[in-house]
Amino acid sequence: MLDLQPHYAVAAHYDELYDAAGAPRPHYAKVAASLARIDRDEILARVQAINTALLQRGVTFTVYADSAGTERVFPFDIIPRIITPSEWSRIERGIQQRVRAINAFLYDVYHSERILREGRIPREMVYSSKNYNREMIDVDVPRDVYIHVSGIDLIRDEQGEFLVLEDNCRTPSGISYVLENRDVLKRGFSDLFRNYAVCPVDDYPSRLLDVLRYVAPPGSAQPSVVVLTPGIYNSAYFEHTLLARRMGIELVEARDLIVVDNSVFLKTTRGLERVDVIYRRVDDDYLDPLYFMPDSSLGVTGLMDAYRAGNVTIANAIGAGVGDDKAIYRFVPEMIRFYLDEEPLLRNVPTYDCTEPAQLQHVLANLDKLVVKNTNASGGYGMLMGPYATVEERERFRETVIAAPRDFIAQPVVQISSSPTLVDGSMVARRVDLRPFALYGRSVEVPPAALTRVALREGSLVVNSSQGGGSKDTWVLQS
Amino acid sequence: MLSRVADSLYWLGRNVERAETVARILDVNYTRATDLYSQRDGRSEALWRSVMQCAGFTSQTKIPTNGKAATDCFGFCAFDTDNPTSIISSIRIARTNALSIRAELTTEVWEVVNVLYLHVEEQDLRSVLREGPSKFLRRVRDWMQAFAGISDATLTHGDSWNFLQVGRFIERAYMTARILEAVDVEHEPWHESQRLLEMCCASVPFAQASHHAPEARDAVSYITLSQSFPRSLRFCTREVDAAMHRISHAPIGTFANDAERRLGRMRALFDFTPIDEMLEPGVTEFARGLVADFEELSADIQRAYFPRLLVTA
Repeated sequence: MLDLQPHYAVAAHYDELYDAAGAPRPHYAKVAASLARIDRDEILARVQAINTALLQRGVTFTVYADSAGTERVFPFDIIPRIITPSEWSRIERGIQQRVRAINAFLYDVYHSERILREGRIPREMVYSSKNYNREMIDVDVPRDVYIHVSGIDLIRDEQGEFLVLEDNCRTPSGISYVLENRDVLKRGFSDLFRNYAVCPVDDYPSRLLDVLRYVAPPGSAQPSVVVLTPGIYNSAYFEHTLLARRMGIELVEARDLIVVDNSVFLKTTRGLERVDVIYRRVDDDYLDPLYFMPDSSLGVTGLMDAYRAGNVTIANAIGAGVGDDKAIYRFVPEMIRFYLDEEPLLRNVPTYDCTEPAQLQHVLANLDKLVVKNTNASGGYGMLMGPYATVEERERFRETVIAAPRDFIAQPVVQISSSPTLVDGSMVARRVDLRPFALYGRSVEVPPAALTRVALREGSLVVNSSQGGGSKDTWVLQS
Repeated sequence: MLSRVADSLYWLGRNVERAETVARILDVNYTRATDLYSQRDGRSEALWRSVMQCAGFTSQTKIPTNGKAATDCFGFCAFDTDNPTSIISSIRIARTNALSIRAELTTEVWEVVNVLYLHVEEQDLRSVLREGPSKFLRRVRDWMQAFAGISDATLTHGDSWNFLQVGRFIERAYMTARILEAVDVEHEPWHESQRLLEMCCASVPFAQASHHAPEARDAVSYITLSQSFPRSLRFCTREVDAAMHRISHAPIGTFANDAERRLGRMRALFDFTPIDEMLEPGVTEFARGLVADFEELSADIQRAYFPRLLVTA
């Protein structure tokens, strides 16, 4: 039998499964009981079968540090993360509010700049963002939607309150793990689902396709939609193939596209075929060599012109990245008040702005207590976890931060929540986060398909796949 | 369909078929070489030289003696990653192509390629030879044949499947022609005819069709002209022609591109030429001409559907 009791004193942080007294929370009780009924060897054998299936299916990601592009299975943990209907309802409303505000901000910074003129956000902060794109000024995107797909990373603080850790408004990934995790867990551990009403996740691709068709350029009655991938060496390539297959649309690379007379076409065995909507999983910089990275052969020559002429929709919009810049993050609550006249439903983590001298001094004096993040990096790269870093690492960061304060923000270390996790055959506590995805078409929807990432290294607070993270199936319970 | 996708399907089909054929060639010859092991008349070297020619795609004639031939040649044809036609290279190419068109394939088709790839990557020459290479070679053949069945049964029989068929049957015909070129039926009629038939998976079908021990000309004729044996040159050419016309929608007997025109000529050769006339220049010369024809055909197909230098409109 597998001992499910956590082998740690219930600590100062919040645990998803056990309350402060060490008893299972009510919504986890039945899963804990079901697991306790399965023989330990049986559990390990089923876990093994799941891992083999994931490898054979190619549910892998590529590690960038290795130039050969090593493929690895994103580790999957069988203990589900369960979210109650009331928790979800709060998350859903909070994310809808946040995404609407960020989208309004994007429209504003590329049009009348009201929020800048009224001094609510410093102009330099926006103009200095690597992802602010002057080519987008006065461009009208279909339905005024910039962030068709976003992934908002949430963590739970010591009191169990959900906080927003960061916004991902460019090409957030992870939904394929949500779909695959549910599938393999249902096949391998169907007994866990007994007595639960879990919201299904598998309609995500069709909801995404609805959004993409809705934002097609006006006049395209049967819009042709494609997924644009950087190719097989991209870390999220598996996800691109899965979404294209489930939506039943073409997965294309830049070399499959050509722009003729400001319209975009596919190069097919029967000649050129028109494209109306591109769901791109490629960064802005690699879209069009005429506008970005002129010395690059990547991208589709003339795509930006076709886009600005309104002949093709690109999702997410070019230039949307200014909305998820880590230095802009601390202004999102202000955006919510400014554009929606509402109070934020989900709080931010307190954030120090290194461009303000007083805050910079505080950050430099407290490097051993803070997390310092590069505002342009993602995936857990370019980050200092102060309390866990060596003196040398902190000193190196000090110099980099002083040299380029705009590129860094700092936050206190939040002791994020933990969840029991199966590691090397025994049950241990590991830290988790939550990435719900929002789809923005007619309105902002938050499908109950969220990714729980788990930091598999003992004591680690970093959940990114590139940093030894894994994932769990996430159950949003039906109300 | 995207030209790039068609290109990948074509090479996926070819490399799957190539891995299977090379595995069969190695299996047949490794077993035969065992019979010849103790003989010192150079026949073992001649055998491996012909294997290197058809499975190794090299005319390198320096074959090591004293029993190392089997290890070296087998290693070169099965596991040498610098040899682009080795089993491991073919499977890697097939897998990369399958990955690049993962969105076009069914999960079942993708998995059969990926599972074999994962298996082959774990093998090494020494342990494969220690337990006898048959087990490994059999596994390659089984999975590649499973690929054919699974793709037939799960893919929509539209353009994707047609391009896969074009690749599969061109490669099959091409490898049959290479095998024909490499055997020496004129000098050792019985042994070489039998080896030819085995390498083409044809010994029992031939026996059933002919009711006598193989004579050189009959065996060559069977491998070239059989209407119903699925590895004969005639059969494969007909399949390529049919798949190409399903893609172009041109009626059979007409042509929409140079590849179809060449196919028509090749079909006419097999359908209307007396075997004696065909073999007039000798089996090896005849086969060499066919190898060149299939290479030209492949280039024609490439030009028609996936030119490397893409036309700008």
